[in-house]
Amino acid sequence: MEWADLLRRLSGPPALRPPGARPEAEFSALCLRCGRCVAACPYRALVPAGLGHRLGAGTPVVEARQAPCLLCLLCPPACPSGALAPVRQARDVRMGRARVVTGRCYAHQGVMCRTCVDECPLGEEALGQDDGLRPVVTERCVGCGICEARCPAQPSAILVAPAAGGA
Amino acid sequence: MSLPILAQAALQRTAAPRRRFPWTAARRATQAAVAALYLGLPLANAGGLRALLGNMASLRLGPVDLTEPAAALSALLASRGAAPLGVLLLGVALPLLLAVALGPVFCSWACPFGLLSEALDGLRGRLAARSRRWPEGAAQRAGRVRWVALGGLLAGSLLLGLPLAAILQGPRAATGAAQEALYLGLASAAGAGLLGALLLADLLLPRRLFCRALCPAGAVLVPLRTPASLRVGFEADRCRCPAEAPCLHGCAWGVDPRGERRTDGCTLCGACVERCPTGALGLTFLRPAPPERGLEPRHPGGGSQAGPRLTPGSSAHAAGNHQK
Repeated sequence: MEWADLLRRLSGPPALRPPGARPEAEFSALCLRCGRCVAACPYRALVPAGLGHRLGAGTPVVEARQAPCLLCLLCPPACPSGALAPVRQARDVRMGRARVVTGRCYAHQGVMCRTCVDECPLGEEALGQDDGLRPVVTERCVGCGICEARCPAQPSAILVAPAAGGA
Repeated sequence: MSLPILAQAALQRTAAPRRRFPWTAARRATQAAVAALYLGLPLANAGGLRALLGNMASLRLGPVDLTEPAAALSALLASRGAAPLGVLLLGVALPLLLAVALGPVFCSWACPFGLLSEALDGLRGRLAARSRRWPEGAAQRAGRVRWVALGGLLAGSLLLGLPLAAILQGPRAATGAAQEALYLGLASAAGAGLLGALLLADLLLPRRLFCRALCPAGAVLVPLRTPASLRVGFEADRCRCPAEAPCLHGCAWGVDPRGERRTDGCTLCGACVERCPTGALGLTFLRPAPPERGLEPRHPGGGSQAGPRLTPGSSAHAAGNHQK
């Protein structure tokens, strides 16, 4: 456990990785910090991790609230070391899973809001509504962060938790 | 007898004013072009260029992958073999072939960190006015440090599961900083921070020690040289210099080109060749001629017996001989 703690401290806080990223331990072992995926991203959704990520600095991260991943899948083919594995289609991506912060969510306060549901690129299968018209995230959520970026609440009432297992 | 005639011709060639190739100028131009490429690339990518991506850890050049071998090896170890071997091998193939053919030319001709380090070294020489002379055996000692440093980084990669040789190398720090500065601002660009730290270390450590011995990107290239690789050829017969020769002091690596061994880490920068007043040194692929039998070793003043002869790089004794 101590060893794992040390590693976590060396490579900084968990981050939302690009589509196709291997499980975090393997990813940070394989990523050469070459910035090819970052340069390949047409939407500037991928940014190099800064000094706060310590030895993980220079690895690609997605800051979903600033610029979510639009699932164009141009980054995995840019990776020279297999840190990003090829992904066939958007629904196979496993970047993370969105989680609704009920205390901030308008729909949970009785306000008519379905921004996240409307914006989700995978539609109702990943982000639907329950009987009270509140957003419900399913296991089909890929963690692209578009909902987090578009949520009108301040700060965002729906946050993507990075996948611990990756893929 | 054709032999004396040949020898006379050779002597005349030596005596005539030689036009030497401006190796340092050519090298500066190459270094500057490479540095400009990596400085401008992030902007070009932001403007839509996708055919050229990356930094010196790995560059995509159209359909070709150029991956830095130390970084790839480090990632392979860090992932404990989980890396896609074929992809990595394809990526490092061209850089490895280049190093086998030309030696570690990457360090002196391409690496922007090397360019910065050279500039800093020049500045330090001017400010401190310290002796630029290399102590005896500097290159050999650096060679030993190089093995220890590379071994340490690779063992650390395996242990920590992080590609330390990709993180703590000069070329990536120097070429990754531009992209990070573009996305994060200069203040939080880790590459810029690391680059600053490495350059500071370069300034405090013995002269050029980071490049000579600590940088893993160079360390993996040194042992790739073969007897057939490009090297500094030395014609002992044409050498007229004393032991403290200009070629020795021109070398940023502390290598004596008259007794150079493959493990000394010569990067083929051409500085010694350019400084050689007699043309005894030259960059060449030629194998040293086999030792001639039946001829006594000549001394430099009376090279009247045979034409120029390429002697092996390991001819330290030859260099020593003619000082008597």
